[in-house]
Amino acid sequence: MTSGLALIFIVAGGYVAARLGVRVLARRFLIVAGAEYLLLGILLGPQASGLISANAVDSFGPFITLAIGWMGAAVGAEFHLVSLLRISGSAYQTALLEALLTLAVVGAVLLAVFVRLLGEPLGSAIAPAAVLGAVAVTTSASGIALAARRLAREHASGAALLGQLRVSSGMDAVVGIVAFGLLLCLVHAAPPSDVRPPTPTEWAVITVAIGVVGGIVYHLFLAGERNADRLFIALAAAITLASGTAAYARLSPLLPTMLIGAILVNTSRARREIAAVIHRVHRPLYLVLLVFAGAAWRPSERAWLVPIVCYLVVRPLAKVGSARLAARLSGTTRRLGPDWGYGLVGQGSLAVAIALNYRLLDNSVLPNIVFTAAVISVLLTDLMSARLVQATVQRHRRRHAEPASDPTPAEGADAGAAVTNTGGER
Amino acid sequence: MRRPVILLIVFGLVELVRPLGSTGYGAQALLTFGFLLLAAYTVGEIAASIGIPAIVGYMAAGAAFGPWGLDSVSREAVARLVPVSDLAIALIAFLAGAELQWQEVRDRGVALLKVVSTELLLGAVALGATLYAMQDVVPFLRDLPRSELLAVVVLFASVAVVHSPAVTMALLTDTGARGPVARTTLGVVLITDVVVVLLFTGALTVARSLVPIAGAAGLSFGVVAWEIAGALLVGGVLGGAAALYLRFVGEELFLFALLFTLLGAEVAHLAHVEALLTLLVAGFVAENVSPHGSGEALRRAMERSAAPVFVVFFALSGAQMDLSAVLRLLPLLLPLALVRGGALWAGTRLGSRWAGIGDPERRLLWLGLVSQAGVAIGLASVLAGVFPSFGGELRTLLLAFIALNQTIGPVLFRRALVQGGEIAPRARSPAPAEPVGS
Repeated sequence: MTSGLALIFIVAGGYVAARLGVRVLARRFLIVAGAEYLLLGILLGPQASGLISANAVDSFGPFITLAIGWMGAAVGAEFHLVSLLRISGSAYQTALLEALLTLAVVGAVLLAVFVRLLGEPLGSAIAPAAVLGAVAVTTSASGIALAARRLAREHASGAALLGQLRVSSGMDAVVGIVAFGLLLCLVHAAPPSDVRPPTPTEWAVITVAIGVVGGIVYHLFLAGERNADRLFIALAAAITLASGTAAYARLSPLLPTMLIGAILVNTSRARREIAAVIHRVHRPLYLVLLVFAGAAWRPSERAWLVPIVCYLVVRPLAKVGSARLAARLSGTTRRLGPDWGYGLVGQGSLAVAIALNYRLLDNSVLPNIVFTAAVISVLLTDLMSARLVQATVQRHRRRHAEPASDPTPAEGADAGAAVTNTGGER
Repeated sequence: MRRPVILLIVFGLVELVRPLGSTGYGAQALLTFGFLLLAAYTVGEIAASIGIPAIVGYMAAGAAFGPWGLDSVSREAVARLVPVSDLAIALIAFLAGAELQWQEVRDRGVALLKVVSTELLLGAVALGATLYAMQDVVPFLRDLPRSELLAVVVLFASVAVVHSPAVTMALLTDTGARGPVARTTLGVVLITDVVVVLLFTGALTVARSLVPIAGAAGLSFGVVAWEIAGALLVGGVLGGAAALYLRFVGEELFLFALLFTLLGAEVAHLAHVEALLTLLVAGFVAENVSPHGSGEALRRAMERSAAPVFVVFFALSGAQMDLSAVLRLLPLLLPLALVRGGALWAGTRLGSRWAGIGDPERRLLWLGLVSQAGVAIGLASVLAGVFPSFGGELRTLLLAFIALNQTIGPVLFRRALVQGGEIAPRARSPAPAEPVGS
């Protein structure tokens, strides 16, 4: 099968599967669409049916990189500062603590597993452990958005908790992307040319510069432009160029494009149009990313079972435990309840994007273990992420015996919607 | 002024990053694509602001940053972006087909055929005769035996008369012009696209009889017939499928538009049928069979998804222009271009009179037919492969000739649309008073 036909059939197949099957399930049973594309990719890929060959996956490398970069821009486009300033500081404090604690716990446990059980030298085990930590931090935003829509339809309460979940989901995305972006600077291989290899700090500066300079330059470039078609061309150029530059320099495209997205929605007068264009293109690219991520999956040649099982057990525990500890440290336990972290257990496509980005690097350590762990975690948690959120909110409501409708949402509730106001596909 | 400065800054930054990179997973292709898109868009906007078609700006950017210019976009990078060109051509063909209304084909099909046959015949004879007369001044023709000279003349004429659906569609998409000059030009260009397959095949057969090639397989009538009839069949089926999708699903048109054109190009390739004609028919069927309004929605989605692809397609065309060959051959190209222009002028006037087409089409049509692009380049490349003895030099001559027409053609077509009152002199949008779809 030619690579072009392969792309058409997998995306068309994915779309039909989503339309006929999962959309109905999503409406009726509160199941999030996303993981099925991943599964479809695995089934069509070289490890299962072989309909998509390894060469075909390689030939679509630019698409995958662009999809990863566009996902970063979509995350960044949700950070409108004016909206974010309406949220209380304690909501950010709780979210940041939860994200950092999860990163530290999962990273540390996996580091011990890689060193002790796989016999990996400490120096080389840090990278895969930290990447899994970054992957573990990310949360399925679409699950939270879907549950929020259902709860809003039922006039159910829990706005405070939902607001915090939205803030945490956005913060998780930022921490995951930043941690992964900086990690690639630390473990960067020397460039093939004769130039002096930049230090990790210099790589970090280059990564941030691609995003910041790109954002500022494109802000000036797009100034006053409101025509949707021309905005689309210019934004496509901006995100493609930033993704290509980052990937070319063997850096993560996620961080620079996230910065570009954030700068553009905060500085441009055409903020809504820019966000609309980014989100309109995000969906098809996200679909392609998930399918190719599935097709790119390869079982590890190393003993993979223990580290992956370990990740699958440690991550939810770390999420729930970190959320509880973060709420206690920031004094929000009373408002959120001790179990609010269950709402953050679902993982979505951002986890896949980070793991896939790591898997595509030519110098990565244990890439297949990292990627497999992320894929299985998404497959297990993404479908039921909305149900988890709904159950968490309902449990919270019962505990606090709140009235059936909540006319005065608590702090962070509605403003939290600004963080993920599109119900992004993370 | 702001945008060119920003482009220069981005160019400098890309050059700074270049020594730090590696080419794995198509990162370089993505970098090139992004830069080319930005550069072409910027130069295109500048061109449009001074009344030159944006696509000339796109090509100028490609030429400036391409292998013959600053070499910021290398030859390898251009080669890696060939699928973008294929996608663009497929989108162009589908959009062109979708522009045609059944009513219009029924009402004006015969008239357009008369114009096409007149201008093609006159153009082929005039161009062939001119090249034959220039035998002593064209270096590679000087020492050719008579039979080979005649073969070169026939082949040159069959490619030199080709028009460009890509430029026509891109300019119509860019300007939104839908008046009589725009529609007649599009009709002539599309019919020529079908006729040219037959003409080129005939020319190839004549050339092979004049210059037999040892071990070469003959091009049978059956193959040519299948290329065209198969394209009608496959395109019809694809168009029907698109119409069904629009009727029963009608969602995610942006994604559907891209996938559908990719599918059409792949299926045409696998079925060995003419890809352009396949997608043209598919577009025509989808537009005319779909429920009212949904074909328009699909066309709009295609135009949106095509926008960056068009920009890069024309920038790549510019990057592939061998500027040194154009400059070297310019003294030969100018008389040929003048003869072609004259033949177009006379051919369209005669053909229009025969078909009963009045002004302003009769007066302005020839200006829209000067452009040449993808199809002609493809045919020139085929010649180089089929006739090793003179094909390479003939291709260089043809590519330089096409580059010249590609550069001046859009300017002339835009001028025709302005003179016809179908677009405002400096605006990119159609003139407000102009009736649409007449």
